[in-house]
Amino acid sequence: MTAADVVIRTEGLIKDYGRVRALDGVDLEVRRGEVFGFLGPNGAGKSTTIRVLVDQLRPTAGAATVLGVAPEVGGPALRARIGYLPGELAMAARASAGDLLGYYARLRGGAGQARIPVLAARFGLDLTRPVRALSKGNKQKVGVIQAFMHRPELLILDEPTSGLDPLLQQEFRALVREARADGATVFLSSHVLSEVEVIADRVAIIRQGTIVDLDDVRTLRHHAGQRVELTFDRPVAADAFRGLPGVEDLEVTDTTVRCVLRGEPDALLKTAAAHRVVRWSAEDRELEDLFLDHYRVPVGELRTDEEVPADGR
Amino acid sequence: MAAETPLGETRAGAIGVRATVARVGRPGSVLRWVLRGQRRALLLWAVAVALVSGIYAGFYELLDVAEMEALVDSMPPGLAAAMGYDQLGTATGYLEFTVYGLLGPILVLVFAIGFAARTLAGQEEDGSLELEVTAAVGRRRVLLERYAALVVQVAVLVAAITAVVGVLVAAIDMPVGAVGLAAAGLGMLLLVLAIASVTFATGAVTGRRAIALAVGAVVAVGGFVADALADLLDDGRWMEALSPFSWYLSGDPLAEGVDVVGFAALLGLSVVAVAVAVPAFERRDLGV
Repeated sequence: MTAADVVIRTEGLIKDYGRVRALDGVDLEVRRGEVFGFLGPNGAGKSTTIRVLVDQLRPTAGAATVLGVAPEVGGPALRARIGYLPGELAMAARASAGDLLGYYARLRGGAGQARIPVLAARFGLDLTRPVRALSKGNKQKVGVIQAFMHRPELLILDEPTSGLDPLLQQEFRALVREARADGATVFLSSHVLSEVEVIADRVAIIRQGTIVDLDDVRTLRHHAGQRVELTFDRPVAADAFRGLPGVEDLEVTDTTVRCVLRGEPDALLKTAAAHRVVRWSAEDRELEDLFLDHYRVPVGELRTDEEVPADGR
Repeated sequence: MAAETPLGETRAGAIGVRATVARVGRPGSVLRWVLRGQRRALLLWAVAVALVSGIYAGFYELLDVAEMEALVDSMPPGLAAAMGYDQLGTATGYLEFTVYGLLGPILVLVFAIGFAARTLAGQEEDGSLELEVTAAVGRRRVLLERYAALVVQVAVLVAAITAVVGVLVAAIDMPVGAVGLAAAGLGMLLLVLAIASVTFATGAVTGRRAIALAVGAVVAVGGFVADALADLLDDGRWMEALSPFSWYLSGDPLAEGVDVVGFAALLGLSVVAVAVAVPAFERRDLGV
């Protein structure tokens, strides 16, 4: 892989705040043209990593390069090629959203100015209202627009859909797809897997300052599994369900069977169908659940050629 | 996965052609934006300081010089001198005691210290600096242009005072020269800038608006008190070396013109403050 193909690289990134170690050796490699999801529970180090990449924080140890350049020395020329959306958007200006966005365009030498009204219309943002009077969702729209408007090569987005309602999240995802079609690379963080898995190609999971998993999105979802609950019209024997392929954490109480299902539901369904099923529910498990049951696959042990067929077996 | 594109080649996307030339912010963008946001506040402050200065300068007409002298003579020897009342007998002394020595600096300092603490540290603390600093401008440019906004605004306020006083001096025929007015105005500008620069630099180094405000206030009040005490106390002269107010006023600028040493010290303080601020702001973490 040539140097030009790696858009973000971090090696052993460490960040200490006094005695608190926020990043404990973060290794990342983001390739040109991909949409890379960066997932982790709150406090895991997502924002810290991102803020090192945009040169707001300086690492305690380790190295980072963005578009082939260390953030600290990249200067304005590097920043012109990046679109950044901070995790905590604060806008207190008395100016209107349109004026503020115009200012950010000027800070980029005018790049993006023409797209502001177009993007504002897409997201339903009233450009005439003063920024500090905007709701959180509307401020987030301003943030998204200023990140995308100048069509940068690299987008670094920290929790970009926070505050956006589902319809706007869809619009945002469309923006990301357009950017990728345009050849841009997108690096986005979230603490909600379901948001990211729709658009990401690869996903890294960070927990307590280190990367604990790095996968295709499909593999990750396969690992995460589902929480299944089946209720029958009469009590069932646990033995019938124990040992079924993909079934874990089995709990049988009276007429209800609860378990975690990884992979194909076929065996479980056929076993359940032998009885009269009164109620069923299957929910995707989220990241938080993964960490609660101490799911941890050290990156070194991962078989990167692990195949996950579409049926998830 | 998107097809690889060699760098440097423009491609027409669905929405238009993306320029591959890095576009960086033009110099002056930050300064213009900050001044634009300050338009209303600055105008109000300029009107306020002009009004106050005008009122005090105008009062000179009403001062009964004979009564003033009688009052001074009736005071214990030395006290009048210590309180500065002996100044009030002359036009330049009167203006230095009121507009140039007290109300002018105080009002402009309140504005300047507040702005200096807010414009960098305050914005950093509330997060609104982040999008500016991560845009295609360097940290240094952001700092210097915001500092320039401070300088411009202080100059506007001092100019407002000078203009009003100048008009009144001419109107009521006070024996104050144009050179004296210019020198006193320059001195006030340098005084306020020196203290505001220290405030600004404190904000740049610490990232905390409250600390910057506190330091600015301490330097201003401490300097004012030291200058007053220097006259009041026996053997108090040494305090003049410590007070920016003394560097500004002890040379009697309205009457004597520019005090090169004092004004140079004030300018030096500003320069040192900025020289400390720039590397500190460039090196540390922002927004923590």
